Amino acid sequence: MTYYTTATFDDQTKLPQLPGWVTFGRAETLETVAFRSGAALTVLNQLVGNVRQDMPVRLLANRLALTAATATSKLEGRLARETDIRDAYHLTPPGEARGPDGDLLGFWREAVRLRLGGPDEIADLVGPDLAEEVAGWLDIGQERARTHGPLAGCVATLKAVLETDDRAERVACLLSDIVLARTLNWKTLLPVSAQRLKKTMLRELAAKGQEAELAVQVQILDNIEEMIRLARKLACRGEALRGIAPKLRAKGSDAAVDVFLSEDAVAPASMLSPHIRGTSIPMTARAARRFCDRLVELGVARELTGRSTFRLYGIVP
Amino acid sequence: MTVAAKKRKPADESGAIFDRELDDLPQELRWREWMGRIEAVLFASAWPVGREDLARVVGQGASVEILLDDIQAELTGRPYELVQVASGWMFRTRTQFADAIKAAADLGEQSLAFTEMEMGVLCAIAYHQPIDRAGLAEIFGKEVSRDLLARLRYKGLIASGPRSPRPGAPHTFVTTETFLVTFDLQSLRDLPELEVDPRDPG
Repeated sequence: MTYYTTATFDDQTKLPQLPGWVTFGRAETLETVAFRSGAALTVLNQLVGNVRQDMPVRLLANRLALTAATATSKLEGRLARETDIRDAYHLTPPGEARGPDGDLLGFWREAVRLRLGGPDEIADLVGPDLAEEVAGWLDIGQERARTHGPLAGCVATLKAVLETDDRAERVACLLSDIVLARTLNWKTLLPVSAQRLKKTMLRELAAKGQEAELAVQVQILDNIEEMIRLARKLACRGEALRGIAPKLRAKGSDAAVDVFLSEDAVAPASMLSPHIRGTSIPMTARAARRFCDRLVELGVARELTGRSTFRLYGIVP
Repeated sequence: MTVAAKKRKPADESGAIFDRELDDLPQELRWREWMGRIEAVLFASAWPVGREDLARVVGQGASVEILLDDIQAELTGRPYELVQVASGWMFRTRTQFADAIKAAADLGEQSLAFTEMEMGVLCAIAYHQPIDRAGLAEIFGKEVSRDLLARLRYKGLIASGPRSPRPGAPHTFVTTETFLVTFDLQSLRDLPELEVDPRDPG
């Protein structure tokens, strides 16, 4: 039996990386965008597309959901900060209203849990007003993706949605992400489109043609490149956490480590105690707090808020 | 939407035979019957009715939108109108008749009458949500009474939101769907824009 080392990327240098010629300079025509995005998507696909043990895809998706929420909040004119959105989501007791910011993060977190084949789930998320047209919008994007490549498909869907309803930014971004994920055969939806899109770009996209389309494609390409950097970083962070896991001797520490490998922000009081989320392993609030502090001590996690109470921990830089 | 889903469960179980399709009627009459059903459902409901709930009283292939358009077309010139609000459609008297209604009688609308302070607090919550009492006190320069907040909550306009990360973990306030319906907003984006960015403390 032979073991190929290609399947195990155990440090940053061995993780697939963006070649310099993809990021060098600026893509100025649709052709260069198409060419560069092909290369970038191949790298991204190697990182997240197949089943890799060392890539915490769920963590990446949740982290991207947060940045997507921040970006869509800007697009919708609410301008909530990332920390406010995260707090609104994580500090709402079960059964209470999350408010507009928390709901927005909730929307994107549900989005990254979508089963991409299920039209009902997508319709539920989009809401009854626009649900009827979802299939049509997705068809437009997927057809365009087939003939002109995935980014063109994303933009076609964005445009189609915004032409119908210029205030449906989050739905437009969601459907664009679905087109991308379906085209690339991903199992998990990753919020690519929304990240750092600007309101003016979308406005021009709905109003004008070619030029605006190029601008949006360039932005999505940028987002993909940024995602690759983030994914590589997360893979390393995850690796570091797994490396020190044997040193943790708290009861249930394996399950708690798994929570850290899937959530970008962990509230010890609600997510690790009284039971570690997703399991029935009990952990006291004190033990949860000590566990998180221990991770910080070992240098694999960080406290995210800078507060002395209501702390949130995560391994994401 | 989850609320709607819960609400209609019992109806599904009890209403074993309800003829949605009306195949025995000629097309013209069928359409009229569907329009009538939608109108009746909306009339009977004090609350906005969602698209999917309306779709369940008409045939599978019938477009609720076109039916609603037809109803709307018939209502031109009437003192009430069919409007789309946050969670669905509802009948509403036209605003020009507000004075007449007020003059006629106390129609139970009293529950939505606001004092100036209540209105101010409600606006502050709408723009700054989620916000706790301490945050409101900063805006108004004085404590906002719990009674006043309780009244707004009793009217269903505000609800408890996320905990505020301050000592004591006070809960914050957020506006509800009722708030949107009451002020004829489809979403919070319809709030009039303030000249000063409300989230900018400077």
